[in-house]
Amino acid sequence: MTDLPQTLTDAAKALREGTVTSVALTQAAIDNADRLDATIGTYLARFDDYALERASTADAELARGEDRGPLHGIPFGVKDIIAMAEGPTTAQSLILDRSWGAGKDAPTVARVKAAGAVITGKATTMEFACGMPDATKPFPIPRNPWNPDTWPGGSSSGTGSGVAAGMFLAGLGTDTAGSIRIPAAFCGVSGLMPTFGRVPKSGCVPLGYSLDHIGPLARSARDCASVLEVLAGFHASDPDCVDAPFSVPEFDGDLSGVRVGVVRENHFPEGSDPALAGTFDAAVAVLAERGATVVEVTLPYWQEMITADMITMGCEALAYHRTDLNSRWDDYFVATRAMVATGAMVSGADYVQAQRVRRVAQDAIGRLFETVDVIATPTASVGAPTFDALAGPNGETDIGALFSMIHTPYWDSVGNPVLVVPMGFTVDGLPLSLQLAGPAFGEAAILRAGDAYQQSTDWHLRVPEPAVQAAA
Amino acid sequence: MIEVMKTLLAAAQLPASEAESTAYTAGYETQRAAVDALYEVPAARYVDPALRFRAAARIEDWAE
Repeated sequence: MTDLPQTLTDAAKALREGTVTSVALTQAAIDNADRLDATIGTYLARFDDYALERASTADAELARGEDRGPLHGIPFGVKDIIAMAEGPTTAQSLILDRSWGAGKDAPTVARVKAAGAVITGKATTMEFACGMPDATKPFPIPRNPWNPDTWPGGSSSGTGSGVAAGMFLAGLGTDTAGSIRIPAAFCGVSGLMPTFGRVPKSGCVPLGYSLDHIGPLARSARDCASVLEVLAGFHASDPDCVDAPFSVPEFDGDLSGVRVGVVRENHFPEGSDPALAGTFDAAVAVLAERGATVVEVTLPYWQEMITADMITMGCEALAYHRTDLNSRWDDYFVATRAMVATGAMVSGADYVQAQRVRRVAQDAIGRLFETVDVIATPTASVGAPTFDALAGPNGETDIGALFSMIHTPYWDSVGNPVLVVPMGFTVDGLPLSLQLAGPAFGEAAILRAGDAYQQSTDWHLRVPEPAVQAAA
Repeated sequence: MIEVMKTLLAAAQLPASEAESTAYTAGYETQRAAVDALYEVPAARYVDPALRFRAAARIEDWAE
């Protein structure tokens, strides 16, 4: 395994050079799953035979010159709230009707299949893409490959841990308040939340209709760009989807002329990891060394957008779940029903007011992006928390305390694209993450910045020790 | 305040336990203050919400 390419980009190159086969990549991914999945809970369903068959087909196609692009022959994971024909979608929940989406591919899954990706299985999630693990329910507890006593982040937990542990080279996650970026950050991989509407979200169990994004987790910014190129584009089934295809930009590592706005306010609260400030400053210095001009900025309507995310997600989720909550309350995870119940604690007027302030903040952030090209912040102020630390005073998960250290929901409310990349480690040796936000439909700018950063650093190539042991 | 919480949950027919109602109540005042603060954003006074209704909209099957 250690001789195999670590990134999607390198694997795609090696496949075309004939130095590796898709079957070899896929078998290595399966071997890692055999060794690690019982410990870290990456998968809800594995498609080993299907994957090996797809890999064999990919090898044959590439051998005769049928090249479907960089995802062709690449082991790939799909979060189990996105429909895929090969198995039922569970949303890691007792609630979801298993006939929902049965035998069908979501548009995003259809697109990665058409691009030749080798889907190895459905990855774990927090129930319905929200909440926290619940040991009383019959599902795996997702754990962090860097330290199985810590949370891998969520809700795209399995996609994050699977990339980190070498069970696939890239995968799909979803993000409504940070669910791509949090597991990417805590698992030490890269993740991209595309601009709202750029990627169709139909065929995905909804959490917040006006907040949900589907996007990639992978090792590098370049990997994320290759996946986005496949995912982006109009689909009539998603009323929010726009005709904005994406092409992978030139990655020359040169950030000359790029203006990076650095945000510190609200991102270094009391209790931040002692290594955070120095690590973040070092990351910003790398961007400057690559040619970027760095200025300090503040984010407009910071607290209001966090509140708007909470109101909007709560109300939109309650509309979807209320009937089931009425009749099957105890079948929901404790933290899921707590989050969804927030929708009952606000009024219709509150919901509309949240959408009015979202519009104001969108306008303000748009004006800020007239003065900078990329905004840099820490993704979170801490590394992955232990499961013990997540427990509140009554033993239930203290999500409020956790989210005071995680800086993702703002961007879901305004809808801008955000890339996160590993930038170092906490004092306890857990990954820390850099968040790079761009203007609406400005994915190219943040991916170029992230790639330039990764040309100067190797944090994204660091492999958690358990995975190394398994590969030995 | 817990009676307010129980009323809100009952109105939505959410059968939360006593312990859950108590836990939700603990965060409710802070949450309510944050929601009320949205009405104090002057720039939002005459702004249309980020909501739109399209008269010609149809439901398209995502798997077709």
